[in-house]
Amino acid sequence: MSAVYIHIPYCVRKCLYCDFCSVPKDDSAGEYASAVAREIELRTKKLKAKERCQTVFFGGGTPSILPAEDLITMLDAVRAAFEMDDDAEISLECNPATANLAELIRLKEAGFNRISIGLQSADDGLLKTVGRAHSCADFLKCFMDAREAGFENINVDVMHGLPNQTMEQYADTLRKVCDLDPEHISSYALILEEGTPLFRMERACEITLPTEDETYDMQDYGLSYLPERGYSRYEVSNFAKPGYECRHNLVYWDNKPYWGFGVAAHSSMPKDGAWQRSANTEDINAYLRKLRRGKLPTEDEITLFASEESFECVMLGLRKVEGMNKADFETRFGVSIAQAFPKAFAEVESCGWWSETDTHLALTPKGMDMLNTVLTLFR
Amino acid sequence: MAYDRNLIRNFCIIAHIDHGKSTLADRMMELTCTVSKRDMEEQLLDSMDIERERGITIKASAVRMFYTHTDGKVYMFNLIDTPGHVDFTYEVSRALAACEGAVLVVDATQGIEAQTLANVYLAVDHGLEVLPVINKIDLISADPDRVMHEIEDEIGLPAEHAPRISAKNGVNIEQVLSGIVKELPPPGGDPSAPLKALIFDCFYDNYKGALSYVRVFDGTVKEGMRIRSMATGREFDVTEVGVFTPTAKPTNELTAGEVGYIAASIKSVAETKVGDTLTSAENPTPHPLPGYKQVNPMVFCGIYPADGAHYDDLRDALDKLKLNDASLSYEQETSAALGYGFRCGFLGLLHMEIISERLEREFDIDLITTAPSVIYKVKMLTGEEITIDNPAGLPPMTEIDYMEEPVVSAVVLTPKEYVGTIMDLCVEKRGVFVDMKYLDTTRVSLHYTLPLNEIIYDFFDQLKSRTRGYGSFDYELSGYEKSDLVKLDFLLNGELCDALSTIVHRDRAYPKARAVTEKLKDVIPRQQFEIPVQAAIGGKIIARETVKAVRKDVLAKCYGGDITRKKKLLEKQKEGKKRMRQMGSVSLPSDAFMSVLRING
Repeated sequence: MSAVYIHIPYCVRKCLYCDFCSVPKDDSAGEYASAVAREIELRTKKLKAKERCQTVFFGGGTPSILPAEDLITMLDAVRAAFEMDDDAEISLECNPATANLAELIRLKEAGFNRISIGLQSADDGLLKTVGRAHSCADFLKCFMDAREAGFENINVDVMHGLPNQTMEQYADTLRKVCDLDPEHISSYALILEEGTPLFRMERACEITLPTEDETYDMQDYGLSYLPERGYSRYEVSNFAKPGYECRHNLVYWDNKPYWGFGVAAHSSMPKDGAWQRSANTEDINAYLRKLRRGKLPTEDEITLFASEESFECVMLGLRKVEGMNKADFETRFGVSIAQAFPKAFAEVESCGWWSETDTHLALTPKGMDMLNTVLTLFR
Repeated sequence: MAYDRNLIRNFCIIAHIDHGKSTLADRMMELTCTVSKRDMEEQLLDSMDIERERGITIKASAVRMFYTHTDGKVYMFNLIDTPGHVDFTYEVSRALAACEGAVLVVDATQGIEAQTLANVYLAVDHGLEVLPVINKIDLISADPDRVMHEIEDEIGLPAEHAPRISAKNGVNIEQVLSGIVKELPPPGGDPSAPLKALIFDCFYDNYKGALSYVRVFDGTVKEGMRIRSMATGREFDVTEVGVFTPTAKPTNELTAGEVGYIAASIKSVAETKVGDTLTSAENPTPHPLPGYKQVNPMVFCGIYPADGAHYDDLRDALDKLKLNDASLSYEQETSAALGYGFRCGFLGLLHMEIISERLEREFDIDLITTAPSVIYKVKMLTGEEITIDNPAGLPPMTEIDYMEEPVVSAVVLTPKEYVGTIMDLCVEKRGVFVDMKYLDTTRVSLHYTLPLNEIIYDFFDQLKSRTRGYGSFDYELSGYEKSDLVKLDFLLNGELCDALSTIVHRDRAYPKARAVTEKLKDVIPRQQFEIPVQAAIGGKIIARETVKAVRKDVLAKCYGGDITRKKKLLEKQKEGKKRMRQMGSVSLPSDAFMSVLRING
């Protein structure tokens, strides 16, 4: 069973906080879909049997910036290389003002069944501050178009902790989003990543971020408001109506295998009896050049020791509200979580940061707030 | 065969930091072919990196060179280098005592500075002839005429014929050499009298042991001779005598009037006392040379390894530094907050900075230095008097009758427009005005009495920043005065953090308490629990801040492409925690600790 991620690096313009691999849309974009299709073919042709695929996720960048036909070319390549489940979750990240109704209809027909729209804030001033290339009105239109095109599973991304953002602005955004009744909401705290323009602006005192406490207040507000509106938290920053948890992202948090195609995409799967992570080149030109010559764009390959692999299972698994499945861990590593990490296990226990059921080990809300502290105990 | 004493000139160069002493010395060595230009490493006399970077000289050296004068005779020059900072006044005075003359270098753009003035007076007091030299005439802002008048008016030296030079560009250096022959007197002394040699500096050599730099006043010293230290009474066998050219070069003997070094299998420089007189054990002189003093440290602080595991490395490093620095003292001390470390004594704040910088740079040890302290005299109610150099050792205030603190007599030279701000500074530092003099129409000399504990923090930095670098400063200990002092303690989560305790004047306690608690609130990372940060005098809390408990510590995002990177982030967080200092139940990063100590209240 596998999951497939396809990275589309192109953007209308890069948001000021973004440190993902993203480039302006240029001439290379025309060649990109066929290059990705080529990579899918090259990397899967040696498999003895086609792997089953349960989710496909087009992320970016801005996938919706490419013509629908290009996206379908890549999806078709996945279908050709994998045994696609009938009910596979096929997601597309979409930024407002980059997709029109006709294209959304075309994508729906081709099999896409989940749309993830980046709104971030309903306040146009804030959108401008962080360099987003759309307005709140653009978002509304995009959301309506997606519904009209027949998408019944839509996610909306929102952010808190933006420069000068107030609690009122954040609450207003949540309310407006909930009123639209999407199936899924991701609510992230802004991470000021080194090397981004926003990072430099903050250092240069050109922008003021909310204080630590103001940011936490916003987060806490979301944690209580979203469930009131029918969205259950199932991961640190993710909320969904029952049955609409993002299956693709759950693959990451369960530390299960996934294939990543496209520039800067990461893959993770067992190979020759050990777990392996690999990453493609982050250089778009190098990526295209290699595939033109029929070469693989893989650059980084790391084989993990079991101790690393089991730590990653904890690091990812504890992000889920449901927690880690104890039996899955034992099957995978031959020891229980308590046996693998006796000291950390006892410490987290004594802090009262998790609760144990017959099947799962899950952090309490307080434990979830302190996830990094918990995880450093496991290192 | 002794050199004709009439052809010897023993002299030093007096100059303010950056006025070009080392550069002039370099040019003189080049011109006298003491070193070839090819071998010339910039500023040879300053052999330590830190000295070179800061443009100051820590260890005096002595260099012998030969100069052929226009009269056709070859003169032996012994250039004795002097430390240029206020902390080393005693060393300077001993170096001056080894000379008959001094070359005074004054920057043509800046004029005379406070320390220069102090050192010139010191030279004149020692009966030295002074040859003024005006340097940096190549600079656009140079005003040699003004500086000439300043030298004549302030010091009372005729300066009309003072060589005007550019040491950097090698202009008119010949005039300086010639001036040394003509203006400075040759040494006197009796080569056949019992040996009298003044130690003016010392240096530790890995092979030869401690070398004493000496000036022979009477008699002769040679290899194999048994000599006696008149300060300690100890005797040694001379294993080698020699001179620096500028590298060490053994000679047969050193005789009256000459300058050089003596090696005598002395294990540590602590046994060679600067200012001491060496004499012959068999035929001793009855009278030592005057001026010997035991130097005592004035400033103390605790030095701890940032990582407790490096305690032994720190001890070894201090042992090595001590080999070459008799004025450094240290003993083991334990702090509840910082663990094992050393209580170190220094001649002054610069000396302290130099040592801690060398420990970090040359020995690669991360340090935590506690607040510097001076020596307080504590009069107990029982009538007993004790001295305290560590706030942690202060008895309870209820047992103390009164306390005395050291005060210094300080002279500040500044352009007149900064007089107001300097007066403000001195008042802030509890200074008592003594007098004020106009040196000329633009420059002013301010004389204050100041408590030593007020100037050991940032007085010099403040002075420099308030006068845009034009102010200069010199001080000497003038005695002890009764003072209303209190011990200010800081508590983290209710536990005393002994490393932060400090002795301050009562009037300064409140502002200091507020400044430090506010700073601590900012630098202590939030922890699992709320941390009260308190300042207290005796049992009374006088300031309080609170570090709130950490609310959240979680990464908002972690998807497929993030995993390796996020793992590294956790790694870093874990590393950061390891580097924290545990103060009771509170973790504090070392740099946070330092930033608190830098606060001057």
